[in-house]
Amino acid sequence: MFWQKDIELMDKEQLRNTQLDCINKEIKIAKRSEFYKKKLSNIDKISSLDDVKNLPFTTKEDLRNSFPYGFLATDLQNVIRLHSSSGTTGNPTVVFHTAFDISNWANLSARCMYTAGARNNDIFQNTMGYGLFTGGIGFHYGAERLGMLTIPVGPGNSKRQIWFMQNFKTSVIHILPSYALRLFQTVEEMHVDVKRDLNLRIAFIGAEPHSEEMRKKIEELYNIKAFNSYGLSEISGPGVAFECECQSGLHIWEDYVYPEIIDKDTLEVLPDGCEGELVLTTLQREAMPLIRYRTRDLTKIISEPCACGRTHRRIARITARTDDMMIINGVNIFPIQIEKTIMSIPEAGRNYIIEIFENNFMDKLCIKLEIDNENFGGTLRDLEKLQNRLECELKQEIGVTPVIKFVDAGSLPVSDGKAKRVFDLRNKNK
Amino acid sequence: MAYHLSVFLENNPGKLERITKILSDNSINLRAMSLASSGEFGVMKLLVDNPEKAFEVLKQNKLTVIKRQITAVVVDNVPGSFNRLLNKLSQNNINIEDCYGFLLSDGKTAAIIMEIDNTPNASQLLSDIGFDVLTAEKIYKY
Repeated sequence: MFWQKDIELMDKEQLRNTQLDCINKEIKIAKRSEFYKKKLSNIDKISSLDDVKNLPFTTKEDLRNSFPYGFLATDLQNVIRLHSSSGTTGNPTVVFHTAFDISNWANLSARCMYTAGARNNDIFQNTMGYGLFTGGIGFHYGAERLGMLTIPVGPGNSKRQIWFMQNFKTSVIHILPSYALRLFQTVEEMHVDVKRDLNLRIAFIGAEPHSEEMRKKIEELYNIKAFNSYGLSEISGPGVAFECECQSGLHIWEDYVYPEIIDKDTLEVLPDGCEGELVLTTLQREAMPLIRYRTRDLTKIISEPCACGRTHRRIARITARTDDMMIINGVNIFPIQIEKTIMSIPEAGRNYIIEIFENNFMDKLCIKLEIDNENFGGTLRDLEKLQNRLECELKQEIGVTPVIKFVDAGSLPVSDGKAKRVFDLRNKNK
Repeated sequence: MAYHLSVFLENNPGKLERITKILSDNSINLRAMSLASSGEFGVMKLLVDNPEKAFEVLKQNKLTVIKRQITAVVVDNVPGSFNRLLNKLSQNNINIEDCYGFLLSDGKTAAIIMEIDNTPNASQLLSDIGFDVLTAEKIYKY
């Protein structure tokens, strides 16, 4: 039932005491880095968790500005790995790990997978990207720690993915939610029957914000349970928070991070239950502690006890990243609202993109949806009905009337990594 | 049971040609067709001599295609014959979802191809009231 029973069921009081100790330890380590030496120059320790709110924030900008070694808090000889963002827009964010950090992260990933029901007799297929991206390698180490037979197949090549699933009877898969939907087209093309030919029972889906509707769709298509995974490379990678069998919010591992929710405008700490930006302080990192790191992910903390018995609080499904927000004629819209609506209409298909452009000084929101053999009824009337329904339901959800365009199957751009769905074509120079 | 193919397509230059090229490359004969457009996209109905093969090759080429059941009757090529058919259909409360026709090679008769959704036994009904209902074999090869 539990990977580390003593930690997962730790008494709340004890957990809070541990957190306070760890934060003070992290402050001490952090101050060896160039960045925190300045930032925390007049702080040595805090005396209670209530004082966390007085510590300064750390932002992604800080990470970028301190490239390459500004956050490194230990001697290089202790560092065994770095991960980095692609850095297509300026300096990348770089994260360093000691052997202890890597081992800890592997343990945490194993705990996540165990929590969702994976065991050492499972066959684990990892379709996440390996390399600088933390998704693949993070869970790879975790899966090995747990003792699963791990297939490091990596992303793409759908036919080979299915071939592995069939021949090695893959039971657990780690996959991007957008890719899970796309992969199913190949499942159909290869005439693979998920119940008869595959042995899948669990999917870990994460790295992209996704809706409950999308999860249900994936569960339905593959006849499996899909568990929401949350993580970010700045903290380590996947494994920071994970769903248990109750599938109702993600337990954020409070022995590993100290979570807070802040109002993204006033930066005030909000009480549990209120939605805001997630802020994390690392509790066990050696190479690169982060104090009050602003994740830019929007969620809330659920402090009610979970039926599974774990004492670590939960965070709600990430609704969006603050930087994902689109402003259409002054109306704030998050892409996940559109996804949720599309996924709740069974005939609407799965592949879509969102385009925003300008017409006569007005913003226009256009949703392009592929019509494939799954959702094509064969008559123009059905298509027009679907078009109207999408228009009405989206209008209701987002407050803006979108233009719905149907396009040929396979005509929308596909990416190997995280799905790019939003294309803002407005002239930004104005 | 006879059927034709229904294909989704965007209303852009070259989209139709892509379909006819696939048929041509696979020696499939197009006997009749109809197109319905809703501005930026449309639906094409294709009556071909080998629908099974056409369905497979179109699918292989990633087109969105499904089979739809049709009913075909022969009417005389004289004024009022189509009206007589429609009259009988409406009397029997049979709704036509889609319909097109083509002249048969004798020049004296025409085939009317209909998609009928609300009456599963439409063919039987039509033949019972005296219409010449074409078999699948005849529709494809007539």
